[in-house]
Amino acid sequence: MSESLDTKITANPLIVLREEFDDWALLFNPDTGNTFALNPMGVFIWKILEQGELSSAITRKVCESTQDAPPDAEKQVEDFVLEIVRLGLARKEGERDS
Amino acid sequence: MTLSLMKIPRSVDIEITNGCNLRCTYCSHFSAAGDVDRDLPTEEWRRFFAELGRHGVMNVTLSGGEPFYRQDLQDIVASIVENRMRFAILSNGTLIEPEMASFLAATGRCDSVQVSIDGAIDITHDSFRGEGNFVKAVNGIRTLQRSGVPVTVRVTIHRKNVRELDSIASLLLDGIGLSSFSTNAASYMGLCRKNTELTQLTAEERSLAMETMLELVEKYPGRISATAGPLAEALMWAEMKEASRLKNPRMEERGFLTGCGGPFSNMAVRADGAFVPCSQLGHIVLGQINRDDLLDIWQNHPLLWQFRNRRLIPLSSFEFCRDCPYADYCTGNCPALAYNLTGEINHPSPDACLRLFEQQGGRLPERLLHPTPVT
Ligand code: SF4
Ligand code: SF4
Repeated sequence: MSESLDTKITANPLIVLREEFDDWALLFNPDTGNTFALNPMGVFIWKILEQGELSSAITRKVCESTQDAPPDAEKQVEDFVLEIVRLGLARKEGERDS
Repeated sequence: MTLSLMKIPRSVDIEITNGCNLRCTYCSHFSAAGDVDRDLPTEEWRRFFAELGRHGVMNVTLSGGEPFYRQDLQDIVASIVENRMRFAILSNGTLIEPEMASFLAATGRCDSVQVSIDGAIDITHDSFRGEGNFVKAVNGIRTLQRSGVPVTVRVTIHRKNVRELDSIASLLLDGIGLSSFSTNAASYMGLCRKNTELTQLTAEERSLAMETMLELVEKYPGRISATAGPLAEALMWAEMKEASRLKNPRMEERGFLTGCGGPFSNMAVRADGAFVPCSQLGHIVLGQINRDDLLDIWQNHPLLWQFRNRRLIPLSSFEFCRDCPYADYCTGNCPALAYNLTGEINHPSPDACLRLFEQQGGRLPERLLHPTPVT
């Protein structure tokens, strides 16, 4: 994971994790009404973000949690977290609400 | 058919008060099972909203009675917002003050306030809602609009406004400038049961309403909707009739009592805090808020499962539907109406029965049965 991304990332406390079918879930932004679907791995990552975590540690925890992580797991996690941040669902440390 | 269930309802419909300043002739609430003798104090609702928020419920719809009749409505709404949910309000529109409208707008969480307007002029609207209430309701809409609150209107079609539908559409869309409105019809529930002759459409009037509503849908594309009443029925019945004419195979999700998807995504609470599957089925009490666990009721209550499982009952098993050419394309429609008309929830609703409508002399609009070919 790139150096610049290795900051602490924390879930936006306004966002609701809504567990729906099986282990899938929705992230719900009550201010906009928008939802974002999460697969079970996304839910696992979100729960880490709720505590706040360094991005490198997030990847490590995800890889440790699965026995057969694909070779590009690190990249997938990184992209997912970046997307979550881009959508305003989580924040990098030091960033403020826009 | 498999029935998969989300872990918690997406939305909860709450009759936040049993009080109302009006007594509309076809009100579905008063004299029905949801017409209870007490309202809960603010604190009880606050506790309940905290539970909803913890579980990830997304939307709350407040109805009544009349929600704006409650003096503590701002505290109630504030608690919904604090618990990370959005809300909608169903209202008669007559008690909406500018200060309240500004408050609702400032929350940023209001999906809509739906106001009932049933006429293009006061005589029509007030005939069943009481003198002076048309002007008050229209003022209520304008007050909401000025504050930037999203407003919708519900038009209940009945015997006195069925010949006025085009002027009502014009008032709402051209005059008041709403982006859209929806329609239903006075149905056999609550006070309407006592006033059916006065209020409910005959087959002939229903045919007229269908024809007019379809014309209006063409005139105002995308701005008029319906999930019940003549417009919804016309569209669904034309589809059924065509499928039957072509002898098509059974349509997906049809041929069984599938007319209501509510218990798979919604729950309701009466003004006294009783959990019920739907506001229109207030007699099926599943528990009490702040005493019983919402999650447990949602996932395990046998009555709620019985209600969901009606989807597995084929229409062919009812004497009522015997030899019906539409049975493979029909859903049996609303269980609450079925209950009010037949005393059974597990029964098709005679009110939404195409065969019965035709037997009573009802006609579907020609434009649906023989659409003009596009050249
Ligand atoms: S229809 Fe609405 S406004 Fe009219 S009496 Fe019933 S609850 Fe009150
Ligand atoms: S009799 Fe009526 S309710 Fe039964 S299948 Fe036919 S149209 Fe539907």
